[in-house]
Amino acid sequence: MIVEPYVKNYLSEHYGDDAYRTLAGYEAKGGFAGLKKAVALAPEQVTELVKTSGLRGRGGAGFATGLKWSFMPKTSDRTKVIVVNGDESEPGSFKDRLIMERGPFEVLEGLLIGAWAMGAQRSYIYVRGEYAEAIRALESAVAELYKKKLLGKNILGKKGFEHDVVVHSGAGAYICGEETGLLESLEGKKGQPRKKPPFPAQHGAFGLPTTVNNIETFAHVPFILERGVEWFKSRGTEKSPGTTLFGVSGHVERPGLFELPLGTPLREVIGHAGGVRGGRRLKGVMPGGLSMQILPPTELDVPMAEEFLSQKGTHLGTGGVMVMDESVCMVRVATVVSYFFRDESCGQCTQCREGTAWVHKLCQRIEQGRGTEADLRLLTDVPKLMEGQTICAFADAAAWPIQGLLRHFRSDFEAHLSEKKCPFPESFEL
Amino acid sequence: MRPETRAEIESLFERYPQKRGALLPAIYLVQAEKGFVDAESTRELAALFEIAPVEVHEVLSFYNMFYTEPQGRHHVYVCTNLPCSLRGARTLLAGLESHLGVHGGGTTRDGRITIGHEECLGSCGTAPVMRVDGRYHENLDLGAARRIVDELE
Amino acid sequence: MPTITIDGTEYEVPEGRMVLQAIDDLGLLMNGVDIPHYCWHPKLTIDGSCRLCQVEIEGMPKLQIACNTPVANGMKIHTKNDRVLAARQGVMELLLINHPLDCPICDQAGECKLQDYAFQWGVPESRTREPRRPAKKAVDLGPTIVFDQERCILCRRCVRFCREVPKTGELGVFNRGDESLLEVFPGSELDNPYSMNVADICPVGALTTRDFRFKIRVWFLDDVKSVCNQCSRGCNIVASRSNNNVYRFVPRRNDAVNETWMCDHGRMSYKLNAQGRVAAPRIDGREVSFTDAVKRAAELVRATLDAKAKIVGVASPFASNADLAAFRDLLTKLGAGSARFSVPRGEADDVLIEAEKAPNAAGCRALGMTESSDPVGRADLALVLGHTTTAEVFGDVGNIVLVDSHESALSARAAVVLPARTFLEKTGAFTNSRGLVQKFAAVVEPDFEAWSEADTLAQIAAAAGIS
Repeated sequence: MIVEPYVKNYLSEHYGDDAYRTLAGYEAKGGFAGLKKAVALAPEQVTELVKTSGLRGRGGAGFATGLKWSFMPKTSDRTKVIVVNGDESEPGSFKDRLIMERGPFEVLEGLLIGAWAMGAQRSYIYVRGEYAEAIRALESAVAELYKKKLLGKNILGKKGFEHDVVVHSGAGAYICGEETGLLESLEGKKGQPRKKPPFPAQHGAFGLPTTVNNIETFAHVPFILERGVEWFKSRGTEKSPGTTLFGVSGHVERPGLFELPLGTPLREVIGHAGGVRGGRRLKGVMPGGLSMQILPPTELDVPMAEEFLSQKGTHLGTGGVMVMDESVCMVRVATVVSYFFRDESCGQCTQCREGTAWVHKLCQRIEQGRGTEADLRLLTDVPKLMEGQTICAFADAAAWPIQGLLRHFRSDFEAHLSEKKCPFPESFEL
Repeated sequence: MRPETRAEIESLFERYPQKRGALLPAIYLVQAEKGFVDAESTRELAALFEIAPVEVHEVLSFYNMFYTEPQGRHHVYVCTNLPCSLRGARTLLAGLESHLGVHGGGTTRDGRITIGHEECLGSCGTAPVMRVDGRYHENLDLGAARRIVDELE
Repeated sequence: MPTITIDGTEYEVPEGRMVLQAIDDLGLLMNGVDIPHYCWHPKLTIDGSCRLCQVEIEGMPKLQIACNTPVANGMKIHTKNDRVLAARQGVMELLLINHPLDCPICDQAGECKLQDYAFQWGVPESRTREPRRPAKKAVDLGPTIVFDQERCILCRRCVRFCREVPKTGELGVFNRGDESLLEVFPGSELDNPYSMNVADICPVGALTTRDFRFKIRVWFLDDVKSVCNQCSRGCNIVASRSNNNVYRFVPRRNDAVNETWMCDHGRMSYKLNAQGRVAAPRIDGREVSFTDAVKRAAELVRATLDAKAKIVGVASPFASNADLAAFRDLLTKLGAGSARFSVPRGEADDVLIEAEKAPNAAGCRALGMTESSDPVGRADLALVLGHTTTAEVFGDVGNIVLVDSHESALSARAAVVLPARTFLEKTGAFTNSRGLVQKFAAVVEPDFEAWSEADTLAQIAAAAGIS
């Protein structure tokens, strides 16, 4: 189990310290200074502050957090709800788990700041069911906060500032990481994403005005309040300030987490992880989790921030960097990727339900040496039938990696066709 | 379901504006009794939540961590997504299945272990990884995995 | 009212509607503005998952589903440009890759939305080489519905219907992704008073009725508009006929009466038309010709009039307004006062089924007839339509002249019985419980001589010398 990143920064500085998981230990390191500053401001001022900071969501979509907070109705006779998305299931992504296990109070303090800003009375922290340790750490932290009256009524002595938190466990479904899929699951149903409109700020959890934010997003908020907007904007890039916990995995010497400013070049991120294992050559890198298009070795200088990655035809996603060396067969990768999306599709939309299965079957056949030119054409066409037309972005996430693999590694696929088997004997077993 | 389970479920209702919000936690509690949720329990849950049994079954069938069939005494799941596969997870799983005499996922004859694969467990930095009865075992090799599995009774 | 433009034509649409709904409100959906769709239904909640109704709306970068996009003033919509047609074709192709090639044995053929839309907007050739996904074939989902799980396109209309209309919620979709399957809870059935509506709304042949299974190809059927006669709701229906036989009833949309539904009992009542008919006129139990029976009835009327004895008229809430009006007029001429009538009653629900189990009690009331199930009392002659007023109350009546379509204890008791046409065999109108007068047209001809009540009474009056 990882207790801290190999490279730390403000977020993970104290993750290695077990005491940081207790309220006393957290406060000793400056915890709750941010909340205290927040409640000295008017709620709208806090939202403005977060907006000005430029904080972008860390759950994969990179939406401006302050802007999202401003969508909540200012006054409402209905309870306002915050939902924290702890369903981290993107392959290659393992940062939220660390934050929950080792820095739970950061999340809770950020959540409380959001509660103050948005006038929200209750929160649900939805944690994927497999993260038993994270659930325990959060529940323990929540219990401590109730004991010390930092949850419940009259928080920090502020009359009218009341907030309740429930930690809620998922049950094994990637699609519950999608904002409205999560809401459906929270409501006790299948995690099938909702059509939009309506949007969560108008009709969210249990029909109430809701804001959904990722675990890491909330974790940054106390630091922004405590140390100020200028401080926050001084690291990272102009459009993507702050740090993030990059998760590097696959064929590197030292896989793990690395808290680095957004905009750090991909080459440097991989460098922190010790570079490609055994001194081998790099074949390809997925920079943002399984859903984002792969990059060839020629693109290692790209700064790891959304505004730069999108110019290269991919995205930051959750910053899950998966490194593949020269032994890897990209058709096998395509098979692994397409199986995942086939398995995790919620099944509502025609394009996704049928498309993900078809793509997987095509990859399987090509990988097994039974593919034809027509199949390769289909592997280009079917993802196009899926993109941009579904209730949620899952179908896009399923289409993009396949398109990326075909774009940069078409020769791997063609080799399977011509040789009627996998021509990469050293590749990982399927 | 046992009276204690029912009582515990009922105590969860107040946490959610609509009682159905307590359904997933409730299923976990019922499942803890027998290791799976049978038809009778499904009907009891339906009655408790005032929904149709088919709606409960929909939820049971949607999520990986809910079971409607009897399970082995222990669950062993090896992650086989990309980062883990890149570090030999599938070879490890095949080796482990061979060791247990179960192929393509399933339960050992003596009902001791149900083994299978899972999707990304969020432990890519310490791959390969397996989840045994909810607990993660990381940085595995086949030897370590076999030892862990052999200790399960 | 907002104005929107669809394919270059402007339309004024109701406020606060979704695009698809608004087009339907105007009566143009698939009737001038063709936006094919599966999961959307005018009387169910919006689903949004089939994705077939995608259209291009200027100013919105992605295609939008018309079923879930609110109308906005000035909206410009394109329903048949290349981009929309390509998206449509994509959905059709993806739906067909796992759909079984059952058309030759599928009851839905000829009225199947998969066939229709594939023909018009689908791909010309199949590109898939993958084996199709096997699932349950032709299983009884309950007493009325046959289920073919392979044909299901997961539009979920049936799931929503069962939850929203009869509110019995028997259906669900299990699993996820391409393992999704429409199912009932293991061991239970689809069994509610409105179950057969799911066969209407299923766009394909996944849900069909056992009653209609393998009976006839729909392209041999002729559809005639009518009204159900099993209760005072008066659900609008279509009677499908071929070769002078009625093969089925199917509901017809009427937003003021039955929306798009009808109950199973009413739907199956088409069978009654061929069962237990009074097929020949009778005098004292002997079969005679129609003319002879009319003559005898006229004799009894003339005799009772001449003796200044009592004549009583008993009407039927199954008769049409014209029949009832003719009856009233005759009774007036006979000095018999106003008619009485009885209405059978039963259970009602809060969906469609009403307590009055006849279509036209309101028509009787509107003509000043009196509802009564008390004994008729002393009378020499009773002119009776139908048998809703049952035999026992005629204890003190001398002779009964009965005009009826179906046999009963009363037809055994009557001195003269004359076969009547049912509502499927004549043109007429019923007044439903809300006062709506609804017309129906003849669907089939009886294969024996029968006349409407009005025509029969006219013949009796003429033979009795009553002008």
